[in-house]
Amino acid sequence: MTGPILAIETSCDETAAAVVAGREILSSVVASQAELHAPYGGVVPEVAARHHLGTVNGVVDEALDRAGLPLDGVAAVAVTQRPGLIGALLIGVATAKAIAYAARKPLIMVDHLHGHIAASWLAPVSLDPPFVSLVASGGHTRLDLVTDLRDPRLLGQTIDDAAGEAIDKGARLLGLGYPGGPALERLASTGSHAAHEFPVGLRGATRDFSYAGVKTALLYAVRERDAPPTGQERADLAASYQEAVLRPLADRLISAAVDEGVPAVALGGGVAANGRLRELVGEGADRHGLRLAVPDRSLCTDNAAMIGAAAQFTEAVPWPDYLGLDAVATAPPGGIAA
Amino acid sequence: MLEAVHGLLASVGATPPDLDGIVVGVGPGGFTGLRIGLATALGLGQALGIPVTGASSLEALALGVAEVAPPGALVVPVLDARRRELFAAAYRSAAGDALEELAAPQAIAPGDLADLLDGLGEPAWIGGDGVPAAGGALDGPGRTLLAPGARASRVSAAALVARVRAGAGVPARPVYARLPDAEVNRRAREGARP
Ligand SMILES: [Zn+2]
Repeated sequence: MTGPILAIETSCDETAAAVVAGREILSSVVASQAELHAPYGGVVPEVAARHHLGTVNGVVDEALDRAGLPLDGVAAVAVTQRPGLIGALLIGVATAKAIAYAARKPLIMVDHLHGHIAASWLAPVSLDPPFVSLVASGGHTRLDLVTDLRDPRLLGQTIDDAAGEAIDKGARLLGLGYPGGPALERLASTGSHAAHEFPVGLRGATRDFSYAGVKTALLYAVRERDAPPTGQERADLAASYQEAVLRPLADRLISAAVDEGVPAVALGGGVAANGRLRELVGEGADRHGLRLAVPDRSLCTDNAAMIGAAAQFTEAVPWPDYLGLDAVATAPPGGIAA
Repeated sequence: MLEAVHGLLASVGATPPDLDGIVVGVGPGGFTGLRIGLATALGLGQALGIPVTGASSLEALALGVAEVAPPGALVVPVLDARRRELFAAAYRSAAGDALEELAAPQAIAPGDLADLLDGLGEPAWIGGDGVPAAGGALDGPGRTLLAPGARASRVSAAALVARVRAGAGVPARPVYARLPDAEVNRRAREGARP
């Protein structure tokens, strides 16, 4: 697919649209719903779907405007098809199908995880395969070997909670509210990560992750106190807990890259915005002479530019063969529909 | 949804750029179906640069019921809202596809709707997929229940357009007539707090 692509993403709690041409991002607009969901302590699917519907058309208009392109000027429309909240995905898919149909454009159905993996291919990071990718967010935690961006290969993933989910749950246990990532990171930066020894999930040569144990350990550590932890004690718990979540991510990413003999590693997903994770991965990359590719924070959290990137490595469906295609809540066997 | 649009246009030898406007049912109705209809209509309107106008699905259903009721009769469109509730309203029909609203659209238990109709105190013509869903709760003297499969018991797209032509168009935004469960629960928690 050559020429600019209009991409739409509504799989969770961000309504996003972007125009991408090759590696260049001509525009990227994200309307976040995070504040809407805060009173519920997590993303509410029905609230997300209601909000996407009122928002997506304006976001698309703004993306085209900022790119300085009329709809006729795009070569194709791309949209996140899976995985995600089904009611939320449906809004993006119905909108993208209708726009592509009316404008007689091809449609590209993109896997959200493929998007996170392809984000580091975009300029200015412009990473080319081969590399090992870590995607860590509130919904996903996975390692992929990328020798061809059309076909990322799953190396390992979480067997229970996602890393971002573990961080949010830890933040809640420490009384930090939702979303907890940035607040936990701030508190952790004032504490000692060596103060408490939390279990590091799976041990040994595995490439999978587990966060059930560390979460339970924090729960007990908080409960065995007579009063909720405060001050330095709370900061030490935050730092030690965060370390137990992040260290396996960094260690397994680096050792997978070394084992697979690739020259680079890439980070993606909301947890990639965490400064301590970047530090840990950076140290490992330096030690082994690996290139570390970290897209801008705005390309790590959910956005549509990454969907436009992955779209360029996904088969387009010609007009009007896509009219019967639908959103899918789940990931396919093997993890990514690339 | 879009396949139906494509098939309909093809059957009259038209293409999307031939359209001057789009009318879409705004509900109330099943949340997901409602949103797919609206997202499709709004996406088409956006790409074609044409207006998208909403019309009440209950009013459109009322026009169908009015066709089989005497002029000026009380017509009551009822849609299955699940959870043992109906989406319902009550109108008096008049010439020229006009409707006078006697009871606003709402999610209501069938028994409560029967009480509401008793209060209005006149014969009522009731139609829609809410009739079988009510499980007999709407039966009673002076009430005519339309057969579930009847044409008059379905929300027709042509009736939506008729409502807009009668000047009853509304913004193309969903009418849910019900809060998200999470919001209901949150309010219950806040209310329960001392
Ligand atoms: Zn994501």
